[in-house]
Amino acid sequence: MNLFRSEEHIARWLAGRSPGATIPVTTLCDLARAWWSDRLAPGWQPHTRDQNQAILDGVGLTGAFWQLP
Amino acid sequence: MQDHDLELRNVTYRLFVELGRAPTVDEAAEAAGVTRAEVEEGWRRLHDEHALVLEPQAAQIRMANPFSAVPTPHRVRAAGRSWYGNCAWDAFGICAALHVDGRIETSCPDCGEPLAVEVRDERPDDTSLLFHCLVPAAQWWDDIVFT
Repeated sequence: MNLFRSEEHIARWLAGRSPGATIPVTTLCDLARAWWSDRLAPGWQPHTRDQNQAILDGVGLTGAFWQLP
Repeated sequence: MQDHDLELRNVTYRLFVELGRAPTVDEAAEAAGVTRAEVEEGWRRLHDEHALVLEPQAAQIRMANPFSAVPTPHRVRAAGRSWYGNCAWDAFGICAALHVDGRIETSCPDCGEPLAVEVRDERPDDTSLLFHCLVPAAQWWDDIVFT
């Protein structure tokens, strides 16, 4: 899970491997805030699978690639 | 998750933030007021529940997500200290978990060019960068270190 300068850099790095998913860094920032912001809270409780799926859905990460098991 | 495991998990995370590195078994035992064996057993249960990640066959923390116990290409400087994230997502996650602005220093895996992103008020200063996730979500925990 890495940051890249451009699509061209991603394609070169993949070197023929099947690509995963590419999203803007702004979406990543939204995802990180929703996913991790409670991590150090005194009352933290483990997220359920459905809570995490709702976070992904909430920042627009839908479709088969983003479906949790 | 049982209450005593939750308490151990919270102590472990607090120490990780304070120390800028993963706590040892001894450090966690002292802070939590429990024995070494209780820390090792508790960390193993937390590992099995994906609440942290241990090194293979050792009572040693590899990840307390989003924090990494080992140096990675994803460094975060914030609040006068620095930590490593396990990946770019986790690097942003460290700022989010701490609720502070920060600077993420990483590099392009293709060309090696250093990339630095300032996070201010929960927004990146360089919005042109892209994030690539190679592994589908259904497989993230099959090999979390690779993911």
